[in-house]
Amino acid sequence: MSDHKIFTRYKANEIRAELQSFEVKKSKVSANKRKDGLKKIIANLTLGNYNEMAYLAPEILKFWKIEDDLEVKRICHEYVRSFGIVNPKNTVEALPFILNDLKNRNEKIQIMALKTLVAVPSAEFIDEASRIIPSFVNRRSVPPDVTRTAIYALKRLDEVNHDRVVECLPFLLELIQRENVDPIIHVAALNTLNSIHESNPNLQPLKLSMETAFNSLDLLQTLNEWDKALVLDALTISAVPGSHEDAYEMIDIVLPQLQHVNTFVALNAFKFIAYLLNYVDSVNESLIKRFSNSIISLLNKPPELQFLVLRNVILLLLSRDVPLLNLDVSYFFIEFTDPIFIKDTKLECLYLLANEETLPRILEELEQYATDIDIQMSRKAIRAIGNLAVKLKHHSASECVTALLDLLEFGVEYVVQEIISVFRNILRKHPSEFKSCIKDLVKYTDSVQEPESKNAMIWIITNYSDNMSNYLQIFQIFSSKFLEETLDVQFSILNSSVKFFVRDPNPKTEKICMQMLKSCTEDSNNPDLRNRAFMYWSLLSLAQTDKAHLLSNESLKNILDGELPVIELNTKLDPVILEELELNIGTIASIYLKPVSQIFRNTRPRYLLPSPALNKSRGQLKILHDTKNWNNLESLDTLHEDFSNNRSDKSAHKKSMMNDYDKPAETVNQLKGKRKSSSTSPSKLSRKPSMLVRKLSIRKPFS
Amino acid sequence: MSSCIYILDENLEPLISKNIKSIPNLRYIAQLFKRVYEPASPPITTSLNWHFIRIKRDSLIFLSAVHTSDYDCDIMCVISFLDQFHLLLKKFLETPVLDRNMILDNVLLIMELFEETIDFGIVQSTESSILKDYVRIKINMPDSTIINQLRDASAKDSEESDNEAKKKSKRVSGMPDLYKYLQISKSTNEKKTSTKDTFDEEGVDTYNSFIANTTVMPISWRTKGIHYGKNEFFLDVIERVQYFMDFEQGIIRTNLIHGQIFCKSYLSGMPKLKIAINKLLKRDAQFISNSKFHQCVSLESLNEKEIQFIPPDGDFVLCKYELKRHVNDPPMLKLSSYEVKAKIKKYKVQILVTIETHFKGQNSTSGLSVKVPLSQIFKDYEIDLRKPARFKSSTGNVLFNLSEDFLLWEVGAMKGGHGETKLSMTAEFALFNKEEYEKEVEELRNSMNPPPIREGPKLEELYKQIHEDDVSKTISLASNLVTMRFEVPYCTCSGLKVEYLKIEEEQLQYQSFPWVRYKTVSDEEYAYLV
Repeated sequence: MSDHKIFTRYKANEIRAELQSFEVKKSKVSANKRKDGLKKIIANLTLGNYNEMAYLAPEILKFWKIEDDLEVKRICHEYVRSFGIVNPKNTVEALPFILNDLKNRNEKIQIMALKTLVAVPSAEFIDEASRIIPSFVNRRSVPPDVTRTAIYALKRLDEVNHDRVVECLPFLLELIQRENVDPIIHVAALNTLNSIHESNPNLQPLKLSMETAFNSLDLLQTLNEWDKALVLDALTISAVPGSHEDAYEMIDIVLPQLQHVNTFVALNAFKFIAYLLNYVDSVNESLIKRFSNSIISLLNKPPELQFLVLRNVILLLLSRDVPLLNLDVSYFFIEFTDPIFIKDTKLECLYLLANEETLPRILEELEQYATDIDIQMSRKAIRAIGNLAVKLKHHSASECVTALLDLLEFGVEYVVQEIISVFRNILRKHPSEFKSCIKDLVKYTDSVQEPESKNAMIWIITNYSDNMSNYLQIFQIFSSKFLEETLDVQFSILNSSVKFFVRDPNPKTEKICMQMLKSCTEDSNNPDLRNRAFMYWSLLSLAQTDKAHLLSNESLKNILDGELPVIELNTKLDPVILEELELNIGTIASIYLKPVSQIFRNTRPRYLLPSPALNKSRGQLKILHDTKNWNNLESLDTLHEDFSNNRSDKSAHKKSMMNDYDKPAETVNQLKGKRKSSSTSPSKLSRKPSMLVRKLSIRKPFS
Repeated sequence: MSSCIYILDENLEPLISKNIKSIPNLRYIAQLFKRVYEPASPPITTSLNWHFIRIKRDSLIFLSAVHTSDYDCDIMCVISFLDQFHLLLKKFLETPVLDRNMILDNVLLIMELFEETIDFGIVQSTESSILKDYVRIKINMPDSTIINQLRDASAKDSEESDNEAKKKSKRVSGMPDLYKYLQISKSTNEKKTSTKDTFDEEGVDTYNSFIANTTVMPISWRTKGIHYGKNEFFLDVIERVQYFMDFEQGIIRTNLIHGQIFCKSYLSGMPKLKIAINKLLKRDAQFISNSKFHQCVSLESLNEKEIQFIPPDGDFVLCKYELKRHVNDPPMLKLSSYEVKAKIKKYKVQILVTIETHFKGQNSTSGLSVKVPLSQIFKDYEIDLRKPARFKSSTGNVLFNLSEDFLLWEVGAMKGGHGETKLSMTAEFALFNKEEYEKEVEELRNSMNPPPIREGPKLEELYKQIHEDDVSKTISLASNLVTMRFEVPYCTCSGLKVEYLKIEEEQLQYQSFPWVRYKTVSDEEYAYLV
């Protein structure tokens, strides 16, 4: 029985009555009723009804004494845990019962008691826990499940009583090194040891001997998925290969795990291998292919998991000059069903993946998004095109610009706004290449509405005024409505009007300049704007008065209309941070792409431990293009290594059958490409396809 | 590791929480999350010392909170765990969709599952077959007990007063629930009969399956010891065609195929399947880069031009793919002409629609309907609904939907062809004739005769009633679309074909029956803008 009835707020008296009324009868019905009463307590605790439930402590203790039922026990323990957190003092009475449960013959009850013991943050409980738990870990007669719980409990205990736990560490290490330990205990010990070392900056980083590391890796086959991942996680950093051979061997053992269904395992395997690559002088190209394929298969998951994988893809693309991934851009094309956060991340990946080779496909895709119904998406796509133009060299940039100009003709309002805004950046990066576009841009002066695009337009007009005969006329569109503009647009207008005058002092420019200075100083309420206007004014008047020798026209021009530095898009992170991030694949740090210390406090950043095999710099890793050099990997790995379907891969050893793979997929995008019918081409394989089909298909309508 | 885990309902109220790190105030954290939650934000949000990691499944949110001082947190682990836990719950509760009530009904079970799956925040196991062994005895499954009660009740016709009271409360609390429970019981029954042997075997050597599961990890989607009397494998290739064309300008905006390969596997043992698809054999680049395969497919095998896999038991989607069609590829069903002819002199307006097919002649549609919008016509012309509208079509019926302003032409079966099979439909509406109307009114006023009796519904009044409200009369894009719904069996739009399907089970060596079917259907969006 169970219903919503349980999930309502009760008064303590009601439940007490329910618990007592059936106490007399020992029948099964009353036992069930009693359980319902207890369930109501738990439900009320979940609802946060602590005050009322506190009155029921005596009842709970009474049941604890008489009941042996696992379910009742569980409820009692749950009660103590929830209460212990809120009000530790009141639960001290339950301590003897918990200690008693520890001696129970049922493993489950022992485990429960252990968990309760560390869950309550009161001095009495902690004392008992510090006394009992280490003894549980040490004793050999304890069943493995209980030992495991005890070991994990140490980790929890470490947060409150570090000194006591430190004493246990050598024993844990011994557990790991010992042969014939139950694998689950081995994992628990390894994981606990590692995390205690990591969360306490006063301890040295954990370093395992090669032998222990290999022992742990050999267990991988027998472990369940979560334990597998924990081992791989713990071994990252702590297993330091002494030589290149060690590293290679470890990679070989872990490699099959990349194919694992569980994202957690696959990504940890990834992390471990990426870490080991720091201790290896060269690596075969097939590994890169394998990496890429495993990442791609991970993308086929629920959106939240996909998001994490994508963030890590970004990290991996950034992390090395020659990235460990070689991915085809089409996997990052956006589908309309993707949630927004996936769309954004995919755009970022596309941006990073763009190079001269992939640009045409990416651009075509981005252009499609730009005409999307979703306005936000469309804007982001245009931004991305703009950023690509800034990122890439001249030739590719001009492709981006052409795309943008095409979109401009599309003429939708927000598209125009966005394009104008991004064009400013493009022009700053490539100041002279795209002068010819300016005429087209200026046509849209009337339609710019948003502050950002207005700013951009004013900047463009100002900087390329010599390309236009009527620039003042255009400028007046903005200056005439000066007072209605937002502050930053006002600043731009003021700056530009002064620049015009300095560049070419004539009555027209002077008039505009004076007009602006006047309205800034007289009509504007903003002190910053006023001050800037005054500053310009005094500069200008200084240059015009007889004190002109103090400030020549040349230097005035330099001050007011100087050269701007070329902008760069900064996507590169500090190499030290990148190294750290690579060791943190899959953690929160990898999501935010920030060093761990900025996200989590009190932690020691991970770093690579020294070893003779450690590469001095990450650029040292060579990628070999010949499969034969790396036989040991191939032999251990039963799977066929020739990933001939690795699309964009420009490998040296290309087989003849792969010829059509390096073709860019524009031919795929048949909406715009050459004619290629997808529906009517007959199969080459079966001689009589119709026969086969007839055999295979049933002539029955679909249900 | 996460400090606490919640399951929240759609109003972000916590239904169940699991306190892992003894957090003093669980409610506060849930409230904090409620404040920072935005549906569109990424699954990880940070606020005031807390990282919130969430996944949204069905109508529930599974949330984990991690304190910022807590470095030992692998976010991948948290999310994978939440994801797996959700699947686990579904398996335990035997339901395809979880909802709030189910969670509330099973609080204790879920608590226990939490307890078994994580120790101090470290995931232990989420394999349902293993956990079922662990938790089996004590599972308190309200679903099954209620089903039993209901069965008892119907058999004995309510004997015990106690039971009846319960039953009543159940009935009051929600009839649909009752229905659902019955459904569940039915489905479980079915399952039991179909895989009876499986169940029995699982009962006998559960420990065996445990070992198998942990050691033979790579095949985590199939348990050992499945047995069927008749070994069958069904494979359905279904393609949804999405098509959008601006008819006036003759521009095709969308021409896409969304394909799926559905499989139903009723095979014994550990069968290895090999499927060859013509697209793969020809190394169709577009297909290869736009197809996604189920986890059971060994992706390396794709290079050998065939799909190799050990299927999971029951239903699954083997492959999903998305293909773009060329502009010049004719759509399966083409609107070849659409005309609105106004004959002002005769006070009539005619709509002419002609469609043609472009697929193999031996196939035909099993269902086809064409929806013709009318709002624009009603707006442009003053239509007199007092006079009956007339419809003429070569096949099928034409229905006039007055309230939503469209004509539905139900064609049904239409033969394939390459443009030569054509069908057309004509609809004729009368226009308002002012002279005639005035004359009638005049006559009525002057004559003593009662107005002539009209039979049938008065469409013009109905029309007025319905359209009174929407005075604004904004004609949206949707009201200018001629849309088509159709289904063409035995044919794939992309030409995808299964060349062969081999089933091999080395140990059992049984005879098996593979079935392959094809179908093309229209997507939600299959429309012409007119």
